[in-house]
Amino acid sequence: MKNKTFLIISREYLTRIQKKSFIIITILMPILLVAMIVLPVMLVMLNEKNQFSRVLVVDESEIFINNFQDNNHFEFSYRSGDIEQIKKEAFDQDFDVVLQILDNSESLKSNIYYKKNLPSGLESEIENQMDDIFFNQLLQDSLHIDRARYDHLQDLAKSDAVTIQIDEKGGEKEHDSDVNQLFGMACGMIIYFIIIIFASQVLRGVLEEKTNRIVEVLISSVKPMQLLIGKIVGIALVGLTQLVIWIALSAAILVGIQLAVPSLFTPDKVEAVESASVGYHLPDSASIDVAPDNIFQMIQNYFSVSFGTIIFAFIFFFVVGYLIYSTLYAATGSVVDNESDSQQYTMPITIPLILAIVFVPSISTNPDGPLAFWLSMIPLTSPVAMMVRLPSGVHAWELLLSMGIALTFLVFCIWFAAKVYRIGIMTYGKKPSWKTIFKWLREK
Amino acid sequence: MNIVEVQNITKLYGDFAALDDVSLSVPQGCVFGLLGPNGAGKTTLIRMLMRITFPDMGEIFFKNHPLSADDTYEMGYLPEERGLYKKMKTGEQAMYLSRLKGLSKDEAYKRLRAKFEQFGIMEWWNKPVEELSKGMQQKIQFITTILHKPSFLILDEPFSGFDPINTNLLKEEIAQLKSEGATIVLSTHNMASVEEICDHIALINRSHKILEGDIFEVKNRFKKNRFSVEVSRFDAMLAEQLQNHDFQLVEQLDSGHYTRFEIVIPQTKSNNDLLQLFLQYSDIHSFNEILPTMNEIFIEQVEQSNQTQNHEK
Repeated sequence: MKNKTFLIISREYLTRIQKKSFIIITILMPILLVAMIVLPVMLVMLNEKNQFSRVLVVDESEIFINNFQDNNHFEFSYRSGDIEQIKKEAFDQDFDVVLQILDNSESLKSNIYYKKNLPSGLESEIENQMDDIFFNQLLQDSLHIDRARYDHLQDLAKSDAVTIQIDEKGGEKEHDSDVNQLFGMACGMIIYFIIIIFASQVLRGVLEEKTNRIVEVLISSVKPMQLLIGKIVGIALVGLTQLVIWIALSAAILVGIQLAVPSLFTPDKVEAVESASVGYHLPDSASIDVAPDNIFQMIQNYFSVSFGTIIFAFIFFFVVGYLIYSTLYAATGSVVDNESDSQQYTMPITIPLILAIVFVPSISTNPDGPLAFWLSMIPLTSPVAMMVRLPSGVHAWELLLSMGIALTFLVFCIWFAAKVYRIGIMTYGKKPSWKTIFKWLREK
Repeated sequence: MNIVEVQNITKLYGDFAALDDVSLSVPQGCVFGLLGPNGAGKTTLIRMLMRITFPDMGEIFFKNHPLSADDTYEMGYLPEERGLYKKMKTGEQAMYLSRLKGLSKDEAYKRLRAKFEQFGIMEWWNKPVEELSKGMQQKIQFITTILHKPSFLILDEPFSGFDPINTNLLKEEIAQLKSEGATIVLSTHNMASVEEICDHIALINRSHKILEGDIFEVKNRFKKNRFSVEVSRFDAMLAEQLQNHDFQLVEQLDSGHYTRFEIVIPQTKSNNDLLQLFLQYSDIHSFNEILPTMNEIFIEQVEQSNQTQNHEK
């Protein structure tokens, strides 16, 4: 008997992982993921290597003369005179860009002339420097203080909130809530997609066997429960396989890139990427203090939260969430005759999951609020909601309670699905009403 | 000995009784024809034998004990509506279904290769089922149904969709299984094949069993004292004489060499009375009793049962 369940599991597993679509998605996903991490870094590197521009400044206002700062990418020279004449000569004299600043008391207006390519970042570099210079000038003229003094004063007035969690033993741990929020949201989303994708595969599988009538043959060989368990476990293994391959492949690609281009992932470059392209500044606690040896340590530094707990909870909610939804979906697949009818029954169980996703931003900004709390307790939403909350830290009792409720609900789901599935797969024609399904539940 | 005893089975779907107090026995080692018009309740009965549905009243015994799930795992079942996994490769699928029936991997492989060879479908082993024709899929399904050599086999409309050659192949397989001691329940509308391969029949109409028994016995029960006499030469007086002696001439067929008379002998007369007349007025070539065909019995019994039921209403 056990042997037959194993047979069913291996069929469900093997037929799915042999599919072309599975192989393509499994291989393509990590490549896309790594590309998303690596490409911005490489772009920054390319910029660094290739770009050096000489800028000729023609300043009618005279505020900016000799005030631009040269750096690795830009070198500034100054000249005055007729702009038309200068424009004619400048490009022959190996200048790449001519910057004309117009004297206008109302506002600062400037024109950037270039011939071949506009060096990337030039525009913002000039704007930033001009703002700075102008601001310094203002400080000097109106407040009569210099920039250094101003920066010092501003530092004094600046507030920098650091969240510090006190754990059970009284130890303190510094968190950066931004990183936690992002990480939590990512975990919640992954759980959501895994549940939706693989639970609906269970539904389609059950439906296929039912509409094919192959179920009648199968049921003359095995118990309905074996069929149900075989399908759910088989598809769960497909999901796990995909996840493991994704993680391993992404890691392998990253290691490969790091070995090939060791200079690619250094903290300053990553920070440059963070601030320049993502617009998100890496917190001090994460990567600046500890100079990471390699990319993995760097990634780990992002998530300096209780990593073990998160991984444990992730696996728990992945498995339990999947099982809850797949058993309910299997029951649904067994009572309908085609896929479009199934929506009527899956709606009440899918809506909570979608709500959980809709509320992810609210949960992550206020992870200890009542909305977050209750959503992480209700079993249909808790896999997503709890994962979003967790990186920001929840009380142990909350996590345990949430897991306990989810497990209890799972037991109910298995009982429910077993009852409904057994009769449902053999019933054709009229869609059963909720009342009929309720009757099935009471049948022995 | 009876392998299956169905006792007073009733199955209700709402107010409608799909089977109403049906009892029947399937003797061990026979080919049992389960007959009846569309919607009579045959498939419902078969599904109960496979424990796919359950009776509301009554009980089913298998080998003298109440039918259990373990019994069905030994059986072979070819459902009326065939189904296979469309995307799965033919050979893999046949292996899977056979192993679910308890065959070991090696044994299943060995037997499947032999059967695929015999049915001439070896080249399809590695093709997905959806590329196969309907008849080909039926063959696969039939093979997986019988591969584990079940002692009890249910075939629901096994011949539908088969050409005459494949129908024959199937009949040979059924005969082979029977000779190996298997009991086979066959549901079909093909009355010619019923006469050919069934030993026993039960006729179900409108949820009731209206007829059951050994096929020869059934035919005898409904015989109408019809005889066929072939003659090579006959006197013009013959027809008149037959009439005078109360013999009913149903048909007279001239086929060149012989003339065939079909005659009903009344209760008051015997076969010999008839033959004496023929001896007197003709040269007899052959003399046969005409038993009713299953087709005739089917139609007659069903119509009769419909009339009584309508009358009762």
